[in-house]
Amino acid sequence: MRKLFLLCCGLAAAPLFAQSAIEPVLPAPSRTAQGDVAVTIYNENRALVQDRRELTLPGGRSRQEFPDVSAQIRPETVTLTGNGIGIVEQNFDFDLLTPAAMMQKAVGETVTLVRMNPASGAETRERARILAANGGVVMQIGDRIEVLRDDGLPARVIFDRVPAQLRARPTLSITLDTAHAGRQPVTLNYLTGGLGWSADYVALFDEPNGKMNVQGWITLTNSSGTAFTNARTLLVAGAVNQVQRGYRVYGGYPPPPPPPPPPGGMIRAGTQTAGRERLGGFYLYPLPERTTIADKQTKQVSFLDVSGAPAARAYEYRNGWLGSADEPQSVSSVLRFSTETGGGLGDALPAGTVRVYQRDARGNPQFVGEHQIGHTPMGSSISLATGESFDVKVRPLVVERTRINTSPRWKTRMLYEVSNAGPAPVVVDVVQDGLWGDTRVTDESIKSERLAADSARWHVPVPANGRAVVSATFDTRF
Amino acid sequence: MRVRALLAAALACLSVMARAQAIVTSQAPDKVAVTVYRAASASGTMDLEWLQGFAIVRETRRISLPAGESELRFEGVASGIVPQSAIVEGLGDVVEKNRDAKLLSPGTLLDSLLGRRVHLRRISKATGDVREQEAVLRASGDGVVLETAEGIEALRCTGLNETPLAQSVPATLSAKPTLSVRLRSARPIAGNVILTYLSSGFDWRAHYVATVAPSGDKMTLFAWLTLANGDETGFANAETMAVAGRVNREGAEVLAPEVRPISLTCWPSQRTHEIPLEEPVPPAPPPPPPPAPASMMSAERSEEIVVTGSSIIAQREALGDLKLYRIPIPVTLAARSQKQVALFEQPSARFATLYRWRSSFANEQNEPVDAARVLKMENRTDHGLGLPLPAGSLTLFAERAGRPFLLGEGSMTDRAVGETVEILLEGSPGVKVTQRQLRRDKKDRETELIVTNDDAKSLRFEVRFADEREPLSSSERLIRRDGAYWWTAAIPANGTRILRIRYRLRD
Repeated sequence: MRKLFLLCCGLAAAPLFAQSAIEPVLPAPSRTAQGDVAVTIYNENRALVQDRRELTLPGGRSRQEFPDVSAQIRPETVTLTGNGIGIVEQNFDFDLLTPAAMMQKAVGETVTLVRMNPASGAETRERARILAANGGVVMQIGDRIEVLRDDGLPARVIFDRVPAQLRARPTLSITLDTAHAGRQPVTLNYLTGGLGWSADYVALFDEPNGKMNVQGWITLTNSSGTAFTNARTLLVAGAVNQVQRGYRVYGGYPPPPPPPPPPGGMIRAGTQTAGRERLGGFYLYPLPERTTIADKQTKQVSFLDVSGAPAARAYEYRNGWLGSADEPQSVSSVLRFSTETGGGLGDALPAGTVRVYQRDARGNPQFVGEHQIGHTPMGSSISLATGESFDVKVRPLVVERTRINTSPRWKTRMLYEVSNAGPAPVVVDVVQDGLWGDTRVTDESIKSERLAADSARWHVPVPANGRAVVSATFDTRF
Repeated sequence: MRVRALLAAALACLSVMARAQAIVTSQAPDKVAVTVYRAASASGTMDLEWLQGFAIVRETRRISLPAGESELRFEGVASGIVPQSAIVEGLGDVVEKNRDAKLLSPGTLLDSLLGRRVHLRRISKATGDVREQEAVLRASGDGVVLETAEGIEALRCTGLNETPLAQSVPATLSAKPTLSVRLRSARPIAGNVILTYLSSGFDWRAHYVATVAPSGDKMTLFAWLTLANGDETGFANAETMAVAGRVNREGAEVLAPEVRPISLTCWPSQRTHEIPLEEPVPPAPPPPPPPAPASMMSAERSEEIVVTGSSIIAQREALGDLKLYRIPIPVTLAARSQKQVALFEQPSARFATLYRWRSSFANEQNEPVDAARVLKMENRTDHGLGLPLPAGSLTLFAERAGRPFLLGEGSMTDRAVGETVEILLEGSPGVKVTQRQLRRDKKDRETELIVTNDDAKSLRFEVRFADEREPLSSSERLIRRDGAYWWTAAIPANGTRILRIRYRLRD
């Protein structure tokens, strides 16, 4: 029995040192002081923790410490509720227990000094009163004044106790007024930093058939310094405004908030409601079962699995005003799909990174690029630039630029040479930007479409292993 | 009292065991495929200490798992793994994937013992006697405070040889960041699991070695595929591929492993002979962090460059909009090493050499200067090429008396079939151009260009006029190409050509 016991918990020392009077102050490593924990995690490195603990409370006023709360707790957000419990005061103590702090607090107190004879190893004990601990420690022993270890010889200083206000870690303590003594549940709520999440999508694109399979994973990261044991976990998609804080009392400065995700390739926002739980305009993603979120852990849980959603490859090239290139430039290779129900993924997508894979000649998936998306409502059209095409290129050229008579207007003739070294015909969207003011397209080889006042787009069909040339003349004020 | 405590602890143990899941560790892949992608800004040669490309690693691992809930831990994955990108195929109901970066180090081990029992061992300097004593760790953040049966003490403030000893390593601390999956299965699983992930710390380049044939207008174009693995993990007998073309990447936050030294600070400990005359000195800073555990560093740099025979040539295939080059046999991509295989060899590629000069306001220096030499190829089958040319550098050789002779080096970007390839090389000292201003009005200028050739062969020379110049008249015919004015001329053997041009500066 005892053997099993030793193996099991590594408490081998307990029987060996059972004669000792001292007791560990914390439970065994496999245990935590946390109770029933529920964690709600927001995208921008923030989480709301609810921790229901059973406490044995004396009647009347008592001070309770709460170990195993997040190391990045925002103490100003703590609330404690329980039946017949009134809060007198709440403290967050960060006067840390260090040898130096202990010696400072011992000034005026008496400690035990154990000296060792360097030749024989014999020990002698004396009581010493600490007079000062400035630069060095000055003590009074009997009627002598001595500087600690001034002789350079070993000397143990044994303090009688740990000063009450010093703590190993920043500690939350709450002074309670309890109506009835006994064991009772209390609920602790607080906000903490160090927990965040985003989504990761694996999109396997079947180009010949125009389909893709998408798996969505929720990725949550815990850098809070604390593990959350057996927690019910809820993830909230959306930004909740956060009050900026001046400084942190423990663990250095807070990390800068992550930049908001780029808008991604949403070209049309959807208007459909996904069949997921919502609250206050946010989509909620509860994890299906309780989980332990360890410190410094990245955890992924599946939340989306769609097969055979329609998807297509497209090509885009965007040219700046008077952009001219010495060499042909690769066009962006774009993956287009929809999140609508029926003809798309049929779900709202929380912000994250979409990684796109395609099968190689042996049928193994290979990575072909990734792109971020923002929070995307259901029914949206998505266009993600996953990379650049090796075979499809555009060379923009300014071939003529002259002043129109003596007027303040200019005539600019552009050529866009589109080439396709691939074995299939493609259509390239060539976009000319920078058409500010009252710019007119006076002549063009194929009809353009004005996306906005300042940009024009040509759909350019390019044959397999061939090329196409678009010419356009602009009448501008600049 | 003691019996009751033991019983309670035993019960706690049993309940932990009941909940515990089977932990199965997969030590290493049985089969691995690595696809290397170039850095976005790939140019020149690779800096092996700073590889900015990445790789997709696809590992096949043979595993067997019991029925019920289990945790499968993957060891031997690349250390540059982006955990968010990990895909596990071949398992049933995956509950979650985890990656733990809290590592076993002196500081984290001590932290995990906070409030718990440790041994304190003291060895007498005088007699060598070992004394062990029980203690409880009361603080470990900034200096170590221990509670013993005698009272409270600070570690190593005594001048004694003393050290705390732990009884076991907490399960939450591991030697390396570990990727694991938690899964549930009604039946035992035995079979292959495929783990795919992105990893940083890889790169590749194409390098072209061109040898000019005696005829002077053809060359042998040999291309190397040079792969580099900067990771500590090697891949033995790997199916190895490289992808050409640009793929978009996004930043991914990867939690840095947490590793800490033990911080040992004491109370102020000046002695009388050390009391400074002025300000008290601040306490000594904590000792510098120890080097990362050996596993995180390569104990020894082995940047062995492996050159395999060119009888093996990478096979090309299209991968969406990219080009995939597959090394046809399994090769070993060792940790921190570079490997080269042949990308292709074109025995008879046609090329032309010409000289090019850009005439602009800034270049009017009245002195003869070297013009740039351009190696020009048409990437077409009738020119002995006609295959995708990934970006890379080119070294041009000629042969002289049976020995190679270096003619120059240049680089190029990705070139598709049908494109013109131009590689800029250093100029030749015998071909000079002089640009001289002859006349200058407010906006009306006249300039003379003198091109000289000291070679016994004629050569092609091209001058591109900068956009700022609008030619009004010239002594030679100018052509319009790519939206600019050009003068293209054949410079006779040992001869000179002169161009006089009048132009107007544009607004």
